[in-house]
Amino acid sequence: MSAALSVTDSTFKQEVLDNDVPVLVDFWAPWCGPCRMVAPVVDEIADQYAGQVKVVKVNTDENPSIASQYGIRSIPTLMIFKGGQRVDMVVGAVPKSTLASTLEKHL
Amino acid sequence: MSTPTDTTQATDKSLETMRSFAEQYAKRTGTYFCVDPGVTAVVIEGLAKHKDDLGAALCPCRHYEDKKAEASATYWNCPCVPMRERKECHCMLFLTPDNDFAGDQQEITFDEIRSVTNPA
Repeated sequence: MSAALSVTDSTFKQEVLDNDVPVLVDFWAPWCGPCRMVAPVVDEIADQYAGQVKVVKVNTDENPSIASQYGIRSIPTLMIFKGGQRVDMVVGAVPKSTLASTLEKHL
Repeated sequence: MSTPTDTTQATDKSLETMRSFAEQYAKRTGTYFCVDPGVTAVVIEGLAKHKDDLGAALCPCRHYEDKKAEASATYWNCPCVPMRERKECHCMLFLTPDNDFAGDQQEITFDEIRSVTNPA
């Protein structure tokens, strides 16, 4: 199982927007191949930056409102939120180094 | 892992249709399946599921406001326009040989797919 907390349309505000630490959100879907590749990377990031970054995931099939609100098109899409605002985004199954360097900019 | 344990699978008939299509299309375009066959399996299951639900193999690696409308629009029906025009498959089903994630396979069996997509 993934270490990342599952967030829904109804818990998104509380778990993502109302946070002091940066939040990495993994927008994924069940039958999306590259999502399978990026999930372990996201888990590693969660471990490596424990305490500095909160890591959550959103199933876009089950939570279409949040996915649409943030204009999710290609999946997986990884978004970084800080102080309730989206500050960065990475699309596709990226290597851990890419995700880490994107994240570092916002710590 | 984002294992799709609670997600409904496609019918056997659609899965076989899409499996066969994927093999033929890879061979015809000189593209290869991902080095991780789990990626290939999940995408083919997703295409087959959309074929069941929508009547068209809409790409499972995108989020849509309205899946039925997108299926009618055909742009993201597999093989999608970016694949047909530029061999770009962001789902990583069809990879050109120079892609870091390309394996050496253009075939996958029905059982290989279901061994990945069956609920844990």
